[in-house]
Amino acid sequence: MQEQLISTLSTVAKDGAFRAGRGLSGLMGQEIAIHVPNVRVGTKADACDAVGGEEAIVLGAYLSISGDITGHVMLLFPIPRALECVDLMCGQPPGTTVEPDELSDSAIGELGNIVGSAFVNALADHLNLILHPSPPTVVNDIAIALVESVYAEVLSQGGDVVMMDAIFEDYSGKTAGLLIVAPDPVSLGRLQRVAA
Amino acid sequence: MTAPAPDARRISVGIGQLAISKDPAEILVAYGLGSCIGVSCYDPQSRVSGLAHILLPSSDGKRTEDREPARFADTGIDLLMTRMAASGAVVRRLVVKIAGGAAVLGPANAEKFKIGERNAEAIKERLKRHGLTPTTTDLGGTKGRTLELHPASGKTFVRTAASPANEL
Repeated sequence: MQEQLISTLSTVAKDGAFRAGRGLSGLMGQEIAIHVPNVRVGTKADACDAVGGEEAIVLGAYLSISGDITGHVMLLFPIPRALECVDLMCGQPPGTTVEPDELSDSAIGELGNIVGSAFVNALADHLNLILHPSPPTVVNDIAIALVESVYAEVLSQGGDVVMMDAIFEDYSGKTAGLLIVAPDPVSLGRLQRVAA
Repeated sequence: MTAPAPDARRISVGIGQLAISKDPAEILVAYGLGSCIGVSCYDPQSRVSGLAHILLPSSDGKRTEDREPARFADTGIDLLMTRMAASGAVVRRLVVKIAGGAAVLGPANAEKFKIGERNAEAIKERLKRHGLTPTTTDLGGTKGRTLELHPASGKTFVRTAASPANEL
């Protein structure tokens, strides 16, 4: 039963990641390669390797999902890549933004909104669900601290933790971002039914 | 007090893990504590150090998974004490320090994500059952922390994304 759900979520995640990557690509004005998303049951600390490992500091956005199902979406960037995105989005020469500030928070929030919503819309379209992403909360912290907090929240509700992660890479193979999506356990049954 | 060797090995204590050390050439580290809490303990006489990375407040009677033996505050603290004693520490002598329990997804989501706060309460409660009270704490807030315990000295340090290591 769980294998079937994971298989369905993998298909949805591929399309969601593709749409999210297309949004990111459009905003950054460059081609973005999307790695086939991982859909796994269990802890996701290893996803943080994509953004620099255990000590990596990231800038990103968190959105919660409400509606027919509930869950969590997080888009994380290594700081230098986040600041590059900000310069590209603001039409500034690369290197203009040297550290996170109010403008970069606003730009990253918007980026999280567009990329996260693209993924949530793919999920809604595929499974014929009504889903609402929340306004983004901008986060600037240790990557693992952010990922483990979502993991803990989902796990605390009982049942399985299913986390999907997709890594975006630019043309040179550098990580451009990490997208993490986790439905709440209570929503897994609903996903199972609509996916069947 | 002894400083760790310059080439000290960092032993990463991941989510739901715990580690015990008597080796002055090691440093036990819980990276990126968000809502999780790092529980550091040190017996100054036997010089046994232990660090647990607790994820959730209560096991609610569920069996602890082997891959995350310190996932829950109740069973995780009990196991930490058992392992410390088995390594030669005397539980009542332990110097216990705890850090973490933040709401890292921001004030807007703090109401929903209250796990950090509940973790802190559950850990203090469980420590009390072992006759222990943390000597120092660094809890709450909205920023993730990295906690280090140096078996060479028994000293504990906390740093965040924005601040360098400070002794706890």
